[in-house]
Amino acid sequence: MGKPSDLLQGTLDLLILKTISLEPVHGWAIAKRIQQVSNEVLLVQQGSLYPALYRLENQGWIQSETRETESGRVAKFYSLTREGRKQLAKELGQWERLSSAVGLVVKQA
Amino acid sequence: MLWWRRLQLRIRSLTERDRLERELDQELVFHLAEQKADYERQAMTAAEAEFRARREFGALGSLAEQCRDQRHTRWIEDLLTDARFAIRGLRQSPGFTWAAVATIALGLGANLALFSTAYRVLFRPLPYADPDQLLEIAGPIAGVGPATVLRQMAKQVEWAGYLPNVERNAQLGGGALRLRTAAATWNLAGVLGVQPAMGRWFEEREESAGRHRVAVISQRMWRERFSSDPGVLGRRILLDEEPYEIIGVMPAWFTFPAAGTELWVPIRYDPADISYLWGSYNLLPIGRLSNGGSMEAAQAELSGLIQRIRPMFPWRMPDQWGVGAALVRHQTALVSNARPKLIALAAASLFLLIIACGNVSNLLLARWIRREREFATREALGAGRGRLLRQLVTENLVLAGVGGVAGIAVALGLLPVLPGLVPDLPRLDGLALEPRAAVLVLFAMGMTFGVLSLVPMFRTFLLGARSVSTARMTLSRRPARVSLSLAGFQLALATALLIGAGLMARTLWRLDNVDSGIRAPGVLTATVSAGPSRCATAARCRAFVEDLTATLGGVAGVQSVNWSNGTPLVKRQSAMSVAVQDHPRPPGAPAFVLWHLTATPGYFPALGIPLRSGRLFTESDTARALPVAIISESTAQRFWPDGSAIGKTIRPVSGKVWRTVVGVVADVAHYSLAGFPSWVDGVQYVPLNQSMPGSGNVVQLSIFLQGAVTAGVLEGALRKSFPDVVLSGLAPLQRVRRESVADRRSTMWLLSGLASMGLLLGSVGVYGILTQRFAQRTREIGIRLALGATTGSVAVTVLREALVVAAMGSVVGISAAIVLTRYLRSLLFGVAEHDLAAFLAGPVVLIVTALLAAALPGLRAARVDPATVLRAE
Repeated sequence: MGKPSDLLQGTLDLLILKTISLEPVHGWAIAKRIQQVSNEVLLVQQGSLYPALYRLENQGWIQSETRETESGRVAKFYSLTREGRKQLAKELGQWERLSSAVGLVVKQA
Repeated sequence: MLWWRRLQLRIRSLTERDRLERELDQELVFHLAEQKADYERQAMTAAEAEFRARREFGALGSLAEQCRDQRHTRWIEDLLTDARFAIRGLRQSPGFTWAAVATIALGLGANLALFSTAYRVLFRPLPYADPDQLLEIAGPIAGVGPATVLRQMAKQVEWAGYLPNVERNAQLGGGALRLRTAAATWNLAGVLGVQPAMGRWFEEREESAGRHRVAVISQRMWRERFSSDPGVLGRRILLDEEPYEIIGVMPAWFTFPAAGTELWVPIRYDPADISYLWGSYNLLPIGRLSNGGSMEAAQAELSGLIQRIRPMFPWRMPDQWGVGAALVRHQTALVSNARPKLIALAAASLFLLIIACGNVSNLLLARWIRREREFATREALGAGRGRLLRQLVTENLVLAGVGGVAGIAVALGLLPVLPGLVPDLPRLDGLALEPRAAVLVLFAMGMTFGVLSLVPMFRTFLLGARSVSTARMTLSRRPARVSLSLAGFQLALATALLIGAGLMARTLWRLDNVDSGIRAPGVLTATVSAGPSRCATAARCRAFVEDLTATLGGVAGVQSVNWSNGTPLVKRQSAMSVAVQDHPRPPGAPAFVLWHLTATPGYFPALGIPLRSGRLFTESDTARALPVAIISESTAQRFWPDGSAIGKTIRPVSGKVWRTVVGVVADVAHYSLAGFPSWVDGVQYVPLNQSMPGSGNVVQLSIFLQGAVTAGVLEGALRKSFPDVVLSGLAPLQRVRRESVADRRSTMWLLSGLASMGLLLGSVGVYGILTQRFAQRTREIGIRLALGATTGSVAVTVLREALVVAAMGSVVGISAAIVLTRYLRSLLFGVAEHDLAAFLAGPVVLIVTALLAAALPGLRAARVDPATVLRAE
């Protein structure tokens, strides 16, 4: 159950927070959406996804509620808390600084 | 508010664990199903989709475990698991658990109760404001005169005076009763810093004689005798026939100067009355250090004042009077008698606790050694050492917790009983568990446990499981030596306890065999008291006593009635300073002090006091006849060793009449079985008829009745013609004697109880260890027997081990006792502090008990069948 090596440490949290920022999403759909949006580049393993979701929930950034999906099955939907939104903004800022910095270095070289 | 949310989440993780678990399962199953559906949409067969989804998903359990870890409540859950596991483990060995819990509970309970008592009696601050500032004088500085001078002249200390324990006859709505009262100077309330709960305390002007009389009553008296009547202030009460107005009710906690004081009146200060001012009224000074004053300055001032008081007496006082009088804190003085006893008992109970802890530690150790293989197996299966250790600690904590709760229950059960066991202690009101004592006891217990159980466990634990595979063969010597020395230590403490109990038993035996000089089986004694009008003149008084004698002598069952001014062995002081013929005292030397008793002619025969020479009193020794006296044998020896006592004369220092000695009787222990105070030079008896209380004094006499009769019958006889007479405390003389040594008796019983429990626990410990050693050595014994050892020699091996342990324990215990018995010194009588018999008997009892405890394992060892043992290999 190793973590995907192509995912930077801490990036998974950002991806999850971003994914559920628009509407409540359940676990499987989070993984699927990340995969789709990244054109099948980012594959989120279940072994990383669920511990991450539980960690975020315990830090109070996301909350969950149990309700029915369109297909009529019961699933846990995750959404951002107020603190979660703040955290997302913070992590986005950090990410942009980091990626532009990395971009600068890469172009220079 | 993020932390709040997080806290809520943690709590939810713990409380709604099952629901969360179900949700987690559902979620993962849902994910699996979605993935499978997704694969099916990608045109896979159902089986293929299922297989692939499952393969990607991996082990469900492991994933769930990772998710659970994110809750950060794992350690609590582990703890609960450990606790559950520990409880299950303890329930599996009920014998061990019961033994351990009962031992802890007894040891802890006894200590909690005794330490709480010791703290509350010795150290709990008195309920007054700034109690540390309250001072008393250790030494004979008492009396209205000296106290008044101190009051008027001292600057460093504000002095007040009180007369404790004045018994008075009170008349309240018909019946007469005996009250314990105290008289006090008006400023006592100010010095103590107390206020009445209702009404007021006395004022300065109320001290003078002639004023109308006022009294302040106790809360209890208000409740019990006045039914908590809110209109009690202003009501009248007759005390020794004089009316007093009740002006105040004290708070319930106020028990000055001693528990049971029901009423306080002002002293009656008449500057013209020399005998009142300088006579035998033992007004005791109590003072409060002035603000910012120091003990040193106050002491210096006191010493100076005593030099000025001495010449103020109307007669010459000894030059040594008051020299060395020292200031002591009131609290220290109050408990000075109880201190050695409480310290001895607390130390003894602490010993018991340590023995108890030793036993539990031994049980734990034995249990742990038995489980060494279990732990090795679990370690081999991957349990972390820390985790295993934590489980052990949890198990001990559960044990200690259960034992602790049981111990508190034991202590709560003991506390109400304790005042009955040690009735002679002061300040026993409101006994309760004392948190400080509890902390101390728990600390002692924790230390003992820590040292005795965790250290050897850690050692064996850290030495590791490598020896476990060979553990079947022989046990490594180390734990054996640890448990044997542990048992030796327990036995040492038990020895010290036994020696202490032995000393007290010898003391009591000595006291019970002291010849008090009284041989009066079946003699009853009581205190008879009446108001001053009965004795307005000596003649009336005489007639009154004659009437009483006739009335009580006429009661069925009474054979004879005799009187005296005191009952033997109640420690009531009755001393007189005298001048003795042939023994002039130089000026400034203290006068001789004789114990002064009045007696009726039948007193000596009734009490079985034999006449040694001369004659006893007769009916003709009347007030008009020659004043006579009888002295005791040792008094005659002291003053006239040549045997010429008869015909010599004695005179009170403050009087003019010389009494002629007409008889010498055998010695009687009037003060206590341990003898008279050192300042008493002898005993004199005078005829009651020649020494009637007169001039309006209160009558208080001791009556001695031969015969069998109850207090009710006597009171019934008195009620008709003497409604104002109170007869109190009717008891056989033997009981008075027994009660006079009640403090030693209670100490002995408590110490003996603690010692026998210590001995019992100690020998149970020895038995346990030897049994366990035997179990481990069965194979060795079998081989020895097979090689030709006799069964006797095998049994001896086991017994020898017990003997060595007990002997070493005895040696250590004797050394401890040599140091510790000094705390018993003040309680001992007729027994040296290092009494050989007690110091021999203790160890002998211990060694014999230890050998008896070892006998069973020894017998078992002798009965081992070598064939069975060897076949079992």
